[in-house]
Amino acid sequence: MSDSSIKAGVLIGSSLLVGLLLSILPMPSPLDMARPMWLGMILAYWCLNIPHRIGMGIAWVLGFGLASDVLTGALLGQNVLVLGLQVFMVLSLQQRMRMFPVLQQSLVLLVVFGLAQLVQLWLDTLSGNRAPTLLFLIPVPVSALLWPWLSMLLHILRKRLRVH
Amino acid sequence: MLVLTLVSVSLMVVDARMDVLKPVRAQIGMLLTPLYRITELPVQAWEGVSQQVASRSTLVAENEKLKAEALLLQRRLQKLAALTEQNVRLRELLNSAALVDEQVLISELIGLDPNPFVHRLIIDKGSRDGVFVGQPVLDARGLMGQVVEVMPYTARVLLLTDSTHSIPVQVNRNGLRAIAAGTGSPELLELRHVADTADIKPGDLLVSSGLGQRFPAGYPVAIVKEVLHDQGQAFAVVRATPTASLNRSRYLLLVFSDSRTPEERANAAAEAQEEVDREAAGRAEQAVTPEAEQP
Repeated sequence: MSDSSIKAGVLIGSSLLVGLLLSILPMPSPLDMARPMWLGMILAYWCLNIPHRIGMGIAWVLGFGLASDVLTGALLGQNVLVLGLQVFMVLSLQQRMRMFPVLQQSLVLLVVFGLAQLVQLWLDTLSGNRAPTLLFLIPVPVSALLWPWLSMLLHILRKRLRVH
Repeated sequence: MLVLTLVSVSLMVVDARMDVLKPVRAQIGMLLTPLYRITELPVQAWEGVSQQVASRSTLVAENEKLKAEALLLQRRLQKLAALTEQNVRLRELLNSAALVDEQVLISELIGLDPNPFVHRLIIDKGSRDGVFVGQPVLDARGLMGQVVEVMPYTARVLLLTDSTHSIPVQVNRNGLRAIAAGTGSPELLELRHVADTADIKPGDLLVSSGLGQRFPAGYPVAIVKEVLHDQGQAFAVVRATPTASLNRSRYLLLVFSDSRTPEERANAAAEAQEEVDREAAGRAEQAVTPEAEQP
């Protein structure tokens, strides 16, 4: 039991680390507008599929949220709040969402990511870095479109490593 | 959820209003520095590959271009020595502060801010190298921005074009002063509150005026791109393109400008000049004495 929970922890941690790397990877100029919300997507996957392993996700959200705050130069705690909000929404919808086909999950997550991005905009406005156009919403549909593929990829990984 | 919200909100407030969390940030930043290195790996690998497979003709062409450039620069440098000398003497005559060469530190770009609406960079020099908040940053062509956050081994630089940044400038041609504010577009600065009748036209070079006490005076900042006169507006709309290649430069210069008062600087410059004169005199004597001994 404890052995498998360690394995789950390692898998979750390393997938989030990859997500963190992807979220600061340099990208060519027009493409970086559409950078998917990697951390949010990966956390959403774990919350949907093995919620008992991730618990409330406080530790993960705190750790990786703080890391991405420092990496992106946001206020400390900004990404913690946004990620926490996403985790909370996904966990409260989890019972229903896990029964949905994957495309319907994408639709629900579109709303979740959109709300998260709006909160992000408010917090940015408070610290004086308001995005000048509505383009800040582009990551939302991009993340929702990528969701089936990410979900499939993590599913294969999880099955192969036998993490339940 | 409630706990998390409380924690993050209180963290944000403390971080925004107080300096208590600065060291915490710096420590986390130091821990996370390797992540930037990892994300830079693909870029470096690509550069390495393109260097390996660059054809001979490209290399020859590049070599010739560099040689030509070096020749041009050397010619300019020859003139510069004489001009610097002259400038120091004239300034002495005028009793004004001397322009002393500032010290610079070369640093490499290691990361960009992932948020496309914020123009910030990460460089590979930090507080261990003496970098401080507010330090001006240049590239080979002009001013780029200033340091806004320092971690032990890295620092974050805010570019001129960020929408929260402004810099006091001067038109090089006639000394007209203005404030150049960032627009959020990487190729555009806007001059604020320029009178409709002001003598400014496309092609004018804007240099830093040094009035904000933050940037050293006299570095090129931007070239005026267009001046729009709108009868309905109180001020002319002046747009300028930064001279520094803000989104291409890989190596940046950090400037340690001195914070001495003009009098101290003038005195130091005068002393330095005397020393140079003395040395020159000494050399002249040495040049004379061997000749005198020869016969």
